[in-house]
Amino acid sequence: MSHDYVPVSWTPFKKRFDAWLFVGMALYLGAFVLVTDFAQPANENFTPIQLMIRATGSLAFLMLTFILCIGPLARMTPRFKPFLYNRRHLGVSTFLIALVHGGLVLLWYHGFAELDPLVSLFVSNPRYDSLAGFPFESLGFCALLILFLMAATSHDFWNANLAPGLWKAIHMGVYLAYGLLVAHVLLGALQFEKHPLYASLLVLGSTFVVGLHLFTAFFASSTQVRASASARWIKVGRISDIPDNRALVVQPANAERIAVFRYDDKISAVSNVCRHQGGPLGEGKVIDGCITCPWHGFQYRPEDGCSPEPFTEKIHTYSTKIEGNLVYVARKPNPEGTKTSPSLIRKEPV
Amino acid sequence: MGLMATTGALGAGIAAYQNPVGSGKWNQGDIREWRGIVSAEPYAMIRTRDLGGGVKTALLACQGKCGASAKIGAYEGKRLALKGSLIARNGHAMIAVSEDLDWIREDRAVAISADLAFPDPVPLGEVSLVGEVLDTKCWFGAMRPSEGKVHKACAALCIRSGLPPAFFAKDDKNNKTLLIMTDKFGPHGDSLLPFVADPVSIKGQVYRKGDLYFLDNNPDSIVRI
Repeated sequence: MSHDYVPVSWTPFKKRFDAWLFVGMALYLGAFVLVTDFAQPANENFTPIQLMIRATGSLAFLMLTFILCIGPLARMTPRFKPFLYNRRHLGVSTFLIALVHGGLVLLWYHGFAELDPLVSLFVSNPRYDSLAGFPFESLGFCALLILFLMAATSHDFWNANLAPGLWKAIHMGVYLAYGLLVAHVLLGALQFEKHPLYASLLVLGSTFVVGLHLFTAFFASSTQVRASASARWIKVGRISDIPDNRALVVQPANAERIAVFRYDDKISAVSNVCRHQGGPLGEGKVIDGCITCPWHGFQYRPEDGCSPEPFTEKIHTYSTKIEGNLVYVARKPNPEGTKTSPSLIRKEPV
Repeated sequence: MGLMATTGALGAGIAAYQNPVGSGKWNQGDIREWRGIVSAEPYAMIRTRDLGGGVKTALLACQGKCGASAKIGAYEGKRLALKGSLIARNGHAMIAVSEDLDWIREDRAVAISADLAFPDPVPLGEVSLVGEVLDTKCWFGAMRPSEGKVHKACAALCIRSGLPPAFFAKDDKNNKTLLIMTDKFGPHGDSLLPFVADPVSIKGQVYRKGDLYFLDNNPDSIVRI
């Protein structure tokens, strides 16, 4: 998991996924070009570059909208898990499509003049004091910069070598980028293309993204155990509340979430945050004796929070106890990789 | 499969309802020789018989985003032949002159006649119009689409770079007229740029020079709608 850095860790599934991704993008661009040609009046049509500006811009926006929906949808249905595990490829592809869009805009609308195209991008429309007249291109440029930073640091190398907080902050920037792009479309294309379809798509798409996140935040919180800040031990629930080889997630006040797993008639607890990309370990399951992250399959032993050799990742473990049929977990984490004896589930004599 | 079908349907649906982009055409590879006389004021233009239908006026531009006035220099008023490609829309014509070193030459074979000379301006009266400021080269056919917010920065850059601005006026009955814009009968300056591609009302004097119609206007009088 952490020893060898290769450009892409190909698996047969990833290859199939990328092939379908490529087909999907080609299908969108092909349909856009053909239907534009068909829908315009006779002897009138877009210049090829302006047509590709429209096609790539709309595709990149739709792809980013879809990407932002994957996380919440995967928490609601396992059908979206394959997209979750391959979200990185989708993200980099979205950046590349957006880069083509931005490059063509810079070339076509701001090139072929004495003024530097990058300067023109920010000064040719000087109406920064107006909402309707705002130079929407600058918003798209800022969003593209964020997508670039995300694509450039998406590799495991950066995930391991950037400070976790910094890496997370960069990648949480996707929400800022999406907000900038909604404004980019609203103050740009929608000021010219007045058909209700476009405004409807933008409103529905962005509202769906926000609504989905709010819904799953509520949905997830309703399945978690919340605990106050004072007690040394946190009551997790009854043993039977924890599905076999699965976890209940505990949210202590002002502290990191704890994933409490039941497996092999034992109870163990670890940090809910995967060391790889911050994936929610409590949504994973125990496979071959190891807690397996639902995002990218990183594994940890429940007893000591260590990845199996030769890998070296470690996460916090937590002490647990069982009283009657109730499970408790210690509020204070043990240092990362600390061996912690599991609580044994005693079977009632028949 | 469902996701693929949705993807294709989205591409087709989004493409289907875009505004018409206009009928302008620029056959960039079709470099021809145009004979006539040229002037640099208020913008670079040529009076020629080569557009068909008698003597007509075509604006001149370079291949990129720049006007051709500075290139006219010593050729002002002389009979000549120049190389360039035609940009045309709805009877409006512009010639994007070639970047070859021999793009222009004097040509005494051009027949002189009274109608070939640049006519004096004929005032047609004061007007108040509603419409959009745009740049001629893009609207004539270099860009499609060439109007509205998405093209605002490009149009402003073109006008800043010396291409002639025009006012695309629309009346209550959706009749459309294109008037080339001047300020004190000369080229417009940068004060016009903030208004480019915005819906505006404008006051000014319409005048005609041969087959070209102009609108002389002070940018201070332009009001956004």
